[in-house]
Amino acid sequence: MAISLFFRRFLAGYTPETIVITLATCLFFLLLLCPLIGLSFNLLSAFMTGSVDIVSPLALSPRRMGLLAASAGLAAAVAGAGIIIGILFISALFRFPRKLLYGILLLLLAIAGIPPYIHALTWSSVMQSAGTILPGLPTTGWLISFWVELMALLPLSLFLTWIAFASIDIRLIDAARLVHSDLSVLRHIILPLAAPALLAAFGFIFLICCTDYSVPSLFGADVYALDIFAQFSASNSAAQAFLYALPLMLVTLMVMIACRPGIRTLAQTPNWSLVRFGNPPIFPFWFRALQAGVFVLLLVQILVLFSGLLIAAGSPYAFVTSVLMARNELVYSLLTAVLVIIISLPLALAAAGELKKPGTRGAAAWFIVLIPLAVPAPLIGIGMITIGNLPVLSGLSPALIMPALVSVVKFSPFAMIILFIQMRLVDPLLLDAAAVFARSRTDALTRIYLPLFAPGLVVSAGILAALTLAELGATLIVAPPGHATITMRIYNYLHYGSSSDVAGLCLMVTLLTLVVCTGTILALQHLSQDTSPDIEEPGP
Amino acid sequence: MSDRNLTIYLLVAIVLAIATVAVLLAQPGDATKTIVVYTSVDQVYSEPVFRAFENETGIHVMAVYDVEATKTTGLVNRLIAEKARPQADVFWSGEFSQTIVLKNKSILAQYQSPSAADIPARFKDSDGYWTGFGGRARIFIVNTALLTPSQYPHSMYAMLDDKYPGKTIGIPYPMFGTAATHAAALYCYLGKEKARTFYSSLYNRGVRVVDGNSVVRDLVADGQLAWGVTDTDDACSAIENGKNVTIIIPDQGDGEMGTLVIPNTVALIAGAPHPAEAKTFMDYLLDRKSESVMVASGWIQIPVRDIPGSPCINSTGIKTIPVTYQDTYDALQPAQEDLIGIFIR
Repeated sequence: MAISLFFRRFLAGYTPETIVITLATCLFFLLLLCPLIGLSFNLLSAFMTGSVDIVSPLALSPRRMGLLAASAGLAAAVAGAGIIIGILFISALFRFPRKLLYGILLLLLAIAGIPPYIHALTWSSVMQSAGTILPGLPTTGWLISFWVELMALLPLSLFLTWIAFASIDIRLIDAARLVHSDLSVLRHIILPLAAPALLAAFGFIFLICCTDYSVPSLFGADVYALDIFAQFSASNSAAQAFLYALPLMLVTLMVMIACRPGIRTLAQTPNWSLVRFGNPPIFPFWFRALQAGVFVLLLVQILVLFSGLLIAAGSPYAFVTSVLMARNELVYSLLTAVLVIIISLPLALAAAGELKKPGTRGAAAWFIVLIPLAVPAPLIGIGMITIGNLPVLSGLSPALIMPALVSVVKFSPFAMIILFIQMRLVDPLLLDAAAVFARSRTDALTRIYLPLFAPGLVVSAGILAALTLAELGATLIVAPPGHATITMRIYNYLHYGSSSDVAGLCLMVTLLTLVVCTGTILALQHLSQDTSPDIEEPGP
Repeated sequence: MSDRNLTIYLLVAIVLAIATVAVLLAQPGDATKTIVVYTSVDQVYSEPVFRAFENETGIHVMAVYDVEATKTTGLVNRLIAEKARPQADVFWSGEFSQTIVLKNKSILAQYQSPSAADIPARFKDSDGYWTGFGGRARIFIVNTALLTPSQYPHSMYAMLDDKYPGKTIGIPYPMFGTAATHAAALYCYLGKEKARTFYSSLYNRGVRVVDGNSVVRDLVADGQLAWGVTDTDDACSAIENGKNVTIIIPDQGDGEMGTLVIPNTVALIAGAPHPAEAKTFMDYLLDRKSESVMVASGWIQIPVRDIPGSPCINSTGIKTIPVTYQDTYDALQPAQEDLIGIFIR
């Protein structure tokens, strides 16, 4: 009786929709926190048994301090250079017809799915060959590590810079162009307006670069992420590795929190679907020379990568053979990606509203969302296994969906942030009208809410699919017996030295990424045709 | 978006969702006996063994493979994490130290396979927790276009010789994988101080430290390095692919220490879901015939039985470093901690 009364009072004021949203939000946050809870549980057990050294990992020695500084420096340099190149590149393309711009961005995004390690091996070979003509070219050390990381992350840098540029109200730029030179408009209008979003882009690239050890370690540049793996390998203790990872997690978390205003700015973009085509800007010669240099650089990157892969892949027959041999991995990867989308989108959509809450509640939501981005991938896998081993969950057998769950934890924060941005772009009056005038809840959901959120859902789905296809570190820890993803297969062949198979599979990943990105853009265009009364875009 | 379109999209999404969950949750039927094998052996070598076993016994093998890029933090830590609820039946490793780690963490169960009766005792755990069989050796891979035979290195100490510039020599990070086991053996043989001096000298003279044995192989085969230290299987794969490389087994002369031979190991997991099938698989894997097959496939270069070795190298009478596997294991963690301080800074 008392319990019934309590629930009745507790639920007073809650509609069925708000109860569902609250439950989904709680479930989502719990899922995101699972690895951290699992790792904390591991740490507690290790502490109780006295099998963990707490002091050494947290008291940073000069050696580890140096590694941390070097990692942060490399990541900052790569992110900064990526944004500068992005600005030069996008400032030239910004006013291009949409189809042409999308075509170029697609081509760049398609190579984003290739593991950085492949970039590293290709560039290492190129630098070695070039070194015979130009002695003194670096083949090891920080400079080449920086260069290869920059080249590997360049597609992402350009894409994020484009998003930052696209978040600016084009009417402000056009107004300024009437009275000022294009360079002046770029310096005094575009860059200040895009600065918060560019800061967010910097944060994401910094995060990715800071946690990668594969490229620097190939060139003998030691970073903090490698030290975490070395400690993990030496101790075989997830608790110990977690403690060693904490300083790096703290650094990346601080950078991400610093970038939060940029994400909020993106959420205030006036109209994403506004046509941006216009008279091309006229920059001074020196600036155009820099832009031309960036175009040449990109061309070289694409040529180097694809020529290397095509030569290594051999004949079309060899390519088809390597793809056919990996068909099971391909199917499993695609199914996992679909499941990640199915799980992530409803939960992320339900929870996205928490990011705009003021005060402690909103800050806590941001913290929970950013935390999984800072945890090293294998530790996410270990944390999830620890949770899966809890007696209360022992009846379940989630092994086959575990790779999907770790990808949900790792990547659904991106979906949530995108949906948060989408949510801010929706006129709340439309939602209020739907609540008042819709014939039924189903009617409101299918005819009002989903169409309004559709662009954000489509973009999130595309990003989730692309990131899931490329995941390795956490998936390897939880992949069910008898199943493997395409990325696992690539790394397996890489060790064996079968360069033709590696190249064939990398080309296939490129094609898949291209298909996913094209599908996303086509779906977005279709949706914007349905919902936006935009003016027709003139031809080039 | 029209109502009709939206309905179609929703229907497609629901059908896709149901199909995906159904496929992912589909478990193999009870009619098929299965075992789960976790292996750090390359898929190209281990998969044919699994398929042959399936054809012979009708037991379906579900494998989980490791990759070099995870720096030995993959399967072993997964097995440790799964201790409370084991998913694997058998652990088949390409080396021995990680298997001993699992034994010491009570992850393994005892099983002495009758198929291993003719394997020398030094390749078997005295308590019966794991059994070793044919394996690989630590060797030099040399680019024949960059060095003439008279210039080939023949000792680990050649890495400190001024006639070989440091940047032309490659070693994998000695804190991971078989390179870590090799380093532990050297710590054991030379003693901590001498081994530390040896590795510090390598670091100080700028020997190129790279991401794994396969990277050493690729860089030497590509001519980016003149020579380097790797495993026989990596070097043999380069030779099979027609690269200009050759293999030198180091320290084979009188008074020299010999090289490390690393056997495969196989072990039964404690609390394995399918113990009977697991033992059948171990018997199959440890059989003399399987060892011959793996020599022929290129995974094993140094058989532990009296069977013809790999055509890739002459393994007859190979001189091995005089340390036991247990001693090497005991030196592993202190050596790794020491080497982290030397090489990651």
